[in-house]
Amino acid sequence: MSEFKDPKNFAKTQFNFCWVIALRAEAIPIIEAFKMKILDNQSLFPIYANETTGHALIISGIGSIKSAAAATFLKNYLQIKNYTAWINLGIAGFSRDPIGDIYQAVKVVSKESGAVFFPGLRLSKLLPAETLVTVSKPESKYNEPVLYDMEAAGFCELVPSFSCNELTYVIKIVSDTANSSSTLITKNLVRDLIEKQLSKISAVLGQIEILVQEEKRRLSLPDEVEDFEKNFRFTETSKHQFREIYRKWKIMFPTKRLDPSEFLNSQPKDIILQLEKEILINAENWNAL
Amino acid sequence: MIETIFFEEQISNHPTTERIRKALPRSTWVPIERYQELFNKRHQNFKLQKKNPALILAKKHENFVLPVPSGFGMDSHKNFYFSHMYNCLYDCKYCFLQGLYSSANFVLFVNYEDFFHSISEKIAEYKGKSLTFFSGYDCDSLAFDKLSGFADHALTFFETFPNVELELRTKSIAINSLLQRKPLDNCIVAFSLSPSEIAKSMDSKAPNINRRINAIKQLAETGWKIGLRFDPLIYTSNWKNLYSSLFEEILNGLNPSMLHSISYGPLRFPKKMYKKAASLHPEQKLFAFPMEETKGIVSYGKKIETEMHDFLKSELNKYTSENKIFQCTI
Repeated sequence: MSEFKDPKNFAKTQFNFCWVIALRAEAIPIIEAFKMKILDNQSLFPIYANETTGHALIISGIGSIKSAAAATFLKNYLQIKNYTAWINLGIAGFSRDPIGDIYQAVKVVSKESGAVFFPGLRLSKLLPAETLVTVSKPESKYNEPVLYDMEAAGFCELVPSFSCNELTYVIKIVSDTANSSSTLITKNLVRDLIEKQLSKISAVLGQIEILVQEEKRRLSLPDEVEDFEKNFRFTETSKHQFREIYRKWKIMFPTKRLDPSEFLNSQPKDIILQLEKEILINAENWNAL
Repeated sequence: MIETIFFEEQISNHPTTERIRKALPRSTWVPIERYQELFNKRHQNFKLQKKNPALILAKKHENFVLPVPSGFGMDSHKNFYFSHMYNCLYDCKYCFLQGLYSSANFVLFVNYEDFFHSISEKIAEYKGKSLTFFSGYDCDSLAFDKLSGFADHALTFFETFPNVELELRTKSIAINSLLQRKPLDNCIVAFSLSPSEIAKSMDSKAPNINRRINAIKQLAETGWKIGLRFDPLIYTSNWKNLYSSLFEEILNGLNPSMLHSISYGPLRFPKKMYKKAASLHPEQKLFAFPMEETKGIVSYGKKIETEMHDFLKSELNKYTSENKIFQCTI
């Protein structure tokens, strides 16, 4: 466990899903379903993770600001990559019965600031879509035909910048309505409501994982590049140029490998020029299809 | 089917909105204030969004009709374009829209009447001059027509201005709205085409070339004027054979009197758009070619462009007169 706690050890870990959840009672069914273990309960926010299942989870506490802060903390602590999906899951009030129904929030409005967000790719085949209003005090009137929570707006304000808006999801389970007061909510009820939706949540994750894998393929740097770069003194600019030219070179010569020994005593600019030259020679008979 | 429709509350009772609501009763309808709050958001992922785009119904308030940039290639006195829609059903790898917009969601401006009012004003302003209005610059003119019903409105409007041309540019084979009415002499249905092998590799989700050629022939046979648009030209090892075969396939058997014009243009991107498109499709061979950059424009370079231009011009001259052939350089 102690080795796992050192954030440096997470640089190579691939977490596909990061959960930001306000309450422990909401988090437990997810922690158990994906076999997560606590990493650090001495930190600002408790963090759970399982490297094998690719899930990490942070308990943020109640409120928009805490949700944004916790997400940021988790991202930095585990050095989360830019292809990871982020999910804010929790209970919500709603104007309609029954409690226990699950929704994807496709429009999130901050009641306080008026800011509007449209998180995620629509998953309408799996979850009905709803508008959600994030409030700073618990809602008891349910006047509008919308969901009410206390975190999503803060989460949506920040999290799309970690990966992208299409990998940012807000999923809510109805816990209280005009006919079922929020005063009746207990830890056991919350746990029960979420547990009953786990199969649907799993189906949703299956869809999101397809997007994660696609982004991972698009954004990941081949090991060959990282290994190669270690042998030379690339500046940030030349590294950027090298990677761009490498991308083209690899498409043109998919079976070739970059061998540092072929570039002994070369400067980054010489390497870039060499790759450019090879591409140019091949371009004349280039099959673009 | 489109699963989610965001609509500006100000147009919730517009006849076009109501028609679409009837056509898509099971979709989720979400009210919004202005389309930009959704369409222009930062950190959107065009490629992922393209998997399941939402439809945004909005009202356009200004800039209904714009002059086309110089180099567009047609010989009217003045050319204008208008976009009743942003984005396209198709997912062509070379499309500049992926570099232009941060969102892949479709925006449909439902207030067609305001477009036509603005076009009327332009016609009045340039009374007596030859004018062409292009539709399909920021979208495909017909691909969405079953839902939007735009073509029918546009044709009804342009029917009253027989001296002014309308070009509907498309890759779509949704031509029923055209076939169901009498052809308009002043409407050109312009099809974007590439050789079959190129289209198969790059025109994702678009009808294949054979189906487009069938649609062209069907329209021509019923009296619609046809435009052929070979834009962008794609450079690949046997491009001469590919383009020659394509020309033969389309132009043999096409009544020459129904051919309004042919235009072609090289593959070109503003640098920023090229970078964005390449970053969305890093695995695409199209973006592996050593392109050249001149004055902020990324292209195959003068040598290849000239070679392609010379070849195409001489090939196309075999089928039609020079005055029907145009080169687009933007």
